[in-house]
Amino acid sequence: MYQDDYGNPELYEEYCHTGDPQLDLEYERQPYYKQMPETVKNFLLNFSSAIKEGVLFDIQNMYENTFPQLSDHHFDKTSWPDEQEVAPLVNDDKVFMILYKELYYRHIHARQPGGPKLEQRVNSFFNYCDFFNLILSSESPVLLELPDIWLWELVDEFVYQFQNFAQYRARLTDKTEEEMEQLVSNSNVWSILCILNVLHSLVDISNIKKQLQAAAEGNDPQAVAGEFGGHSFYKMLGYFSLVGLLRVHSLLGDYYQAIKVLEPIELHKKSPYTHIPACQISTSYYVGFAYMMMRRYSDAIRTFSSILLYIQRTKQLYSSRSYQNDQINKQTDQMYHLLAICLVLHPQYIDESIQQVLREKNYQDSMYKMQCGDLESFKSFFMFACPRFVSPCPPSSDAPLEDYVKDPLEHQLQVFMDEVRQQKELPIIRSYLKLYTTLPIEKLASFMTDQSNKEEGTVATQDGVSDVEISNLLVHLLCFKHKMKNIVWTKGSSGLEGKFQSGSELDFFIDSDMIHIADTKVSHRYGDFFIRKILKFEDLNYKLKNINIK
Amino acid sequence: MSKVVKMENGNETTISDMLGSIERYNPDHLPILQEYVQEQARDNTYDLEANLAVLKLYQFNPQLLNLDITYTILLKCLTNLPHTDFVLAKYLLLPLQMQDETVKDIIILADILEKCDFELFWERADKTPERFKQISGFFDSIRKYVSHVIGITYQTIDKDLLKRLLGRIDDKTLDLWLKKNGWKVSGKIVSIATQDVTIKTKNITEKIEFDNLGAIMAQCL
Repeated sequence: MYQDDYGNPELYEEYCHTGDPQLDLEYERQPYYKQMPETVKNFLLNFSSAIKEGVLFDIQNMYENTFPQLSDHHFDKTSWPDEQEVAPLVNDDKVFMILYKELYYRHIHARQPGGPKLEQRVNSFFNYCDFFNLILSSESPVLLELPDIWLWELVDEFVYQFQNFAQYRARLTDKTEEEMEQLVSNSNVWSILCILNVLHSLVDISNIKKQLQAAAEGNDPQAVAGEFGGHSFYKMLGYFSLVGLLRVHSLLGDYYQAIKVLEPIELHKKSPYTHIPACQISTSYYVGFAYMMMRRYSDAIRTFSSILLYIQRTKQLYSSRSYQNDQINKQTDQMYHLLAICLVLHPQYIDESIQQVLREKNYQDSMYKMQCGDLESFKSFFMFACPRFVSPCPPSSDAPLEDYVKDPLEHQLQVFMDEVRQQKELPIIRSYLKLYTTLPIEKLASFMTDQSNKEEGTVATQDGVSDVEISNLLVHLLCFKHKMKNIVWTKGSSGLEGKFQSGSELDFFIDSDMIHIADTKVSHRYGDFFIRKILKFEDLNYKLKNINIK
Repeated sequence: MSKVVKMENGNETTISDMLGSIERYNPDHLPILQEYVQEQARDNTYDLEANLAVLKLYQFNPQLLNLDITYTILLKCLTNLPHTDFVLAKYLLLPLQMQDETVKDIIILADILEKCDFELFWERADKTPERFKQISGFFDSIRKYVSHVIGITYQTIDKDLLKRLLGRIDDKTLDLWLKKNGWKVSGKIVSIATQDVTIKTKNITEKIEFDNLGAIMAQCL
């Protein structure tokens, strides 16, 4: 295979620098050009020595800046030089080669047109195994220093490639017989148990749970960190693995475990672990999503709005286009969609600046449609914003050759839509209740009947309302109360615990035949207004003082 | 939790400890977990986490799927309403389970309960009484849930309506539930709770403390 890549050797000899940089660049982009460019060679040498010497600042700079730049410039749609070419350059440095291959396969996953081939997926998996074996089965901690951003992206990529592989193996329609055979013979590759095993081992070896607990209790985490967990390298890998587990469980639809694995983490607090924005944003996305699926809308809304507020305030950091920011911007968009769904199901007062974004046209219109019970709008919002669910197992060996990729999504969507359907009448009832402080049940029933008559185009045949209509309405009212009273987190580090609360803006109770309604009134905010006026006035004052009248 | 699991290395550990480790995904523990599900049904106890772990093992090993255990787990989830346990379990079901007629039927029952159409629920439950026999205390758990919903909705309720919602119970049983929930009867009306104390119009006003303004005011001097 290595030989083949070189193609016709004669073409090689023709290659020489013309002295014209423009032409040289052209040359380098020719498909048959395979000799490693000098800049790439130098980069690899510098990179490997920086890693060997553990110069974090240099590693981070090369990892975050040089590598993507060189990728854009030399390897936009192709892969980086493969290991046979690189290994001799760095004297077969084993650790460096594993790390290099991590980036090599990551690049292939991101850039190769048509996605990675089966063989590349398998090799990438074994490379991850090499990496985790290296650090997990060592008797004493491996003395390796990598920037936290790399460690986060490594764990995140590991889960991503699992997800990507699970989708790949579920699509039986585009595989050759040979590929199918290979899939069967590699059934342990990217298996769910391997993934869970790795993430659990990283959590255990770093004692991260104990460390977080100690920190929460105000004790010194180092005291419980143990031999491995004392190193930042292991500690951060352990922390990121908790987030990795959150993601894996969410992808499988196990929202209970998803929140449960995060128990030691105090989500709403700033901690020494929250300095990687992508990690924090990803955590909030999956936590908020799990809460929404658990019908804990208050918690979901709180999680989304606090992270979206954080993103708004640090927005300028994500404006440039980079691989990291693309991901963050996409997740931000998805979270606004999820927040919109939650607010339709559970109207609640949120921060004005977040509300402002939701007033934009595409949200405003869809939210209105959802309020009117348009299930399609719910569906399209959900499908845009949900994670890419996967099945933990490949399709069974005797399954017909079909495309099973969408099955897990369809299932999650169906269960969620069942919930939405159960609540379909509630926004309509809410819109009537909002107009009153007290309302006889019979009167509300007649409104509801009028509404459904209008929809069906029939004219009301009788003046009063029947007993059936009243008892139907009673069912809806009970359902309203039930669905709006949910577990809300109050204190402690466990995200699962909480108390029953009705946090929605409208509430009511029934006294015999009368509905008593309690609404939430938001009075005008004047603080902001005054601050702006004060600033304006100061500015004016300043200018006035500087006017020189001669 | 006293239930003990034997590990591969011969050590013994409790189910909750086992579920906290990677061992929760080991299919060898499935028999003991399934037994534990049946024990919960028999003794009217409940352990959501263990039951979800069973469904997860089915998800990972579809060939080990046991439909009877699935029914028991789903019905047990209903006994813990108003919590959303049933939905959590439903997210974990396999296509094979979703296509099963009994599972479909239980999902319809759950749907009715979630929509709070209690009279319809009792009507349907009457048709398949044998299904609920294996879950001890099933109907009382549902009544507890109904009482919860009534408790948060009503200040006073018509006595006959209350009896219908609780499953067309007779006066003697009603007395029991009245006592349990601390509800009081006067004639045809039952007083549930004084809701007007807790359900009040909320006003969200901006609070600006003097401290917040201090700096600005000082600058103006």
